[in-house]
Amino acid sequence: MEVTDDDTLYDAESNGRESGSISMPTSSEAESAAQRTSYQSHQSQQSQRSNMELQQPLHVDYILVAEFSIDKGPTMEHQYPAPISGDEHMLAELMLPDQTHLRFQDWTIFFLHKEEEESEEYPGQQPLIYVLNLVNTKHDKREKRGAKVKAMAICTRHSFLHIYKPILLLALEEYFRKPTLETLAELFVAVNSMDMGGVPNLSVFERQILATSQNKEMFLEKFDEIAQQESTNESSLVQSDVGNRATYFEIGPGSGRSKVINGKLGKIRDSHEYETSVTYKGVKIPIKVPVAVMPETVGDFSLIQLVTTFSTPHSQSPQPFPLHPHLTTNGPYTHPVIVLINALLTQKRVIFLGHGRPSGEVANHVLAACYLASGGVLKGFTRHAFPYTDISKIDELLYVSGFIAGVINPMFANQPSWWDVLCDIDTGRIRISPQLKPPPPTDGLTFFNLNPNMGVSDYVKHDTMDNAFMEDVQHCISMRFGEWAVRARWRDWVIRFTRMATAFEEAVYGASALWIGHEENHVIKGHGYVWADEALKTRDLTANAARIEGWRGTRSYLTLVQESAQLYQAKPIKIVDLHHQIDRLRVLRLSHEDSEKIYMVLKHYVDDYEEINQLLCVIPETQNGIFPIAFGLFHPSQKVRFAVVELLEKISTHMAGRHFFNNMNRFQRLAYIRLKQEKENSGGFSPIATDGTNGVGTFSATTTPTTAAAAGAARFTTYGTVGRGGI
Amino acid sequence: MGGQISKLMAKVFGSKEMRLLMLGLDAAGKTTILYKLKLNQGVTTIPTVGFNVETVTYKNVKFNVWDVGGQDKIRPLWRHYFSGTQGLIFVIDSNDRDRIDEARQELHRIIQDREMKESLLLVFANKQDLPGAMSPQEVTDKLQLSKLKDRIWYVVPSCATTGEGLIEGLVRFPPPYLLLDGSDQARTNNISSLSFSFESFKGLAI
Repeated sequence: MEVTDDDTLYDAESNGRESGSISMPTSSEAESAAQRTSYQSHQSQQSQRSNMELQQPLHVDYILVAEFSIDKGPTMEHQYPAPISGDEHMLAELMLPDQTHLRFQDWTIFFLHKEEEESEEYPGQQPLIYVLNLVNTKHDKREKRGAKVKAMAICTRHSFLHIYKPILLLALEEYFRKPTLETLAELFVAVNSMDMGGVPNLSVFERQILATSQNKEMFLEKFDEIAQQESTNESSLVQSDVGNRATYFEIGPGSGRSKVINGKLGKIRDSHEYETSVTYKGVKIPIKVPVAVMPETVGDFSLIQLVTTFSTPHSQSPQPFPLHPHLTTNGPYTHPVIVLINALLTQKRVIFLGHGRPSGEVANHVLAACYLASGGVLKGFTRHAFPYTDISKIDELLYVSGFIAGVINPMFANQPSWWDVLCDIDTGRIRISPQLKPPPPTDGLTFFNLNPNMGVSDYVKHDTMDNAFMEDVQHCISMRFGEWAVRARWRDWVIRFTRMATAFEEAVYGASALWIGHEENHVIKGHGYVWADEALKTRDLTANAARIEGWRGTRSYLTLVQESAQLYQAKPIKIVDLHHQIDRLRVLRLSHEDSEKIYMVLKHYVDDYEEINQLLCVIPETQNGIFPIAFGLFHPSQKVRFAVVELLEKISTHMAGRHFFNNMNRFQRLAYIRLKQEKENSGGFSPIATDGTNGVGTFSATTTPTTAAAAGAARFTTYGTVGRGGI
Repeated sequence: MGGQISKLMAKVFGSKEMRLLMLGLDAAGKTTILYKLKLNQGVTTIPTVGFNVETVTYKNVKFNVWDVGGQDKIRPLWRHYFSGTQGLIFVIDSNDRDRIDEARQELHRIIQDREMKESLLLVFANKQDLPGAMSPQEVTDKLQLSKLKDRIWYVVPSCATTGEGLIEGLVRFPPPYLLLDGSDQARTNNISSLSFSFESFKGLAI
């Protein structure tokens, strides 16, 4: 599949192989200058690569080895296939994290920024390079000072860089035995031979559906398609591998091929993962590549860990925060995780400090924080994240306005001028810098009769509902719903926040750049977030006013503005705001006429494959899935009921839609079957037109939540609406 | 009686915390000194990557001691630790005559920094147990400490592996009243006092 508009909406990092490029919207001069000097990259290495490599993006761009020299300190030993950076000493320092001498092994992650000019010259190249680094300390009495400290790093454009952990363990061991460039070359060939040819290419909607679903068979057919293509390719093409984008070096019998040739899919256990392997030193290492990676999702962090770290001390003995309108949105006892997400949204300087911890653990907190604020929706956090950094980079770090950095040096805690918010992983406490100034007054605050020097009572008066949300998240964690469920909740939180911000801008400034559309053409009026009534809307907008104002103008805001326009272009259905209308079904007590209108429009305009995808995106599993649509089966008007049957029929034969369809409860399913029969018998028209009202009075999807709960079985989809506002 | 006075003093002045920064060329013995002070154990150290930091309590005083790696390439990082430092411990390998000039240059560079203006200076002439080690006087001369103006400095001979001299050096930092205590003379701390007696050289310019 070609790179389409859809694909450019997501960073190339979201699936790692394509070539969409997104430039940084608001890097200030100083900032980019700092990045230039710190992580500058030569162009010359491009020419050193073979032509074949230039044609295809590599899985791994560089492999580096550094050593802590007992005389000199951190020293770069080898770089393959070419030197990566102008300042290799700085790289060597990052590869040998502080206090490595205290532990035998440590993982770190850091990012390299390519120079901007270069990304323009090579528009196909994505500028961010992810680095996974392993450092080992080997005590050896024969060595001059009793130990050898060496580190090996893999630099890749895949955000799922954790797949390289097992290989790196083997390769560093090998390098201790044989510290030559050859060892690096061998590894380079091995990792770049990984076959990813069977990973399906997904559109922006497909990717979103897959990522927000737990169904292990979602889009399984896509693997099948590729398998069939490959098998026909293989029979027709003899030895010509030009078309196969993933195979750069042929070594041994193709690992991914065997299953492909038969056209069998027996091996795919979960459509979220593509199983492949890397053969290194004769050992075949199985690797699972994530198929639908959300933006800003780097590595295998644990959001549960992040939330737990900063929730536990708070729940035992809450400590008051000094007030800041952007941060303490629920007053002095705002939940620390909410303070953190507020800090990230309003682009504060955030430091994670974990003294006495492996740097890898600190880095994982930073990566989880990036997701926390992004939710896979907002962007620009990983680009300004320094999952591990040390005190030597402080000057460069302070050039960046708004960063997320992980350190293990407690000196950072002594310097409140270096950060706005300090997250101490050891104590589980979050501190707001006493030097952080209150924000300037803005129109938005005045509009809601607020001022930047709000007192405690002002905060408490307007509830953001975040405390209830945090309780839900913690319940989710203690009930072991899993990482996926917690991420989904945060995603919902972020989406809700951005939609509230849109409404906020429209209320205060008359229009919002976050809403693209031509409402005058809409078949049903209305767009954006839906509140049950005006009072709730005022409550939410007032409570969120300060942080929304703080968010406006930040990098993540500006990127979303840019992308809203692109996403609008990608949407096949522009004639109605699907999300808004589905929300109306969920939230409001609609009249029969109003709900009829919505169902008829859905039936009429949601038709082809991608249109159904667009609809499925707004009815995720976490928000009761297909329930609001299936509810139309009980509409008093037969015309509507038949329309819903028709719509559900279309969904049921859709590749992804069938799973949504199968999630209908028994009650809905029986109604569907009965109505379908009825419809066929009557040839689309029935004499018992007004018979099937089932006594449902006011028509609203929210009136019978228990129906879904009863049939939802073990799926937590039934908890989906908890914590979402306006319900 | 003495104990009562010290309790009273502790009440009046409270326990005191001091931030000390320990620097010196690589392999001078900084980390060994730190862990001897902390654990009273001779530990086998390997080169420090980055830093170590430990709190050492002596009498009423909590010493927050930072030990920063000394390899040539990472010396420029020392300056990041200057701010807020109340005392500098500079460790010399008394047996390394070849690099004593290099040590002198580094030391003078540190104490010329604006942020180190107020800090006291303690030099450990370490590794005194090795034959042919420079004497404290020789170290003082080679480091050209007499050139220092407006600075209180001390040179104390030490042997990190046995702990000799370490407490003698550390007690120079806090004001004397904080260490008042009946057992001051006896030094009941668990670090053995110097078995070989050196003059501790104390200089006070101006």
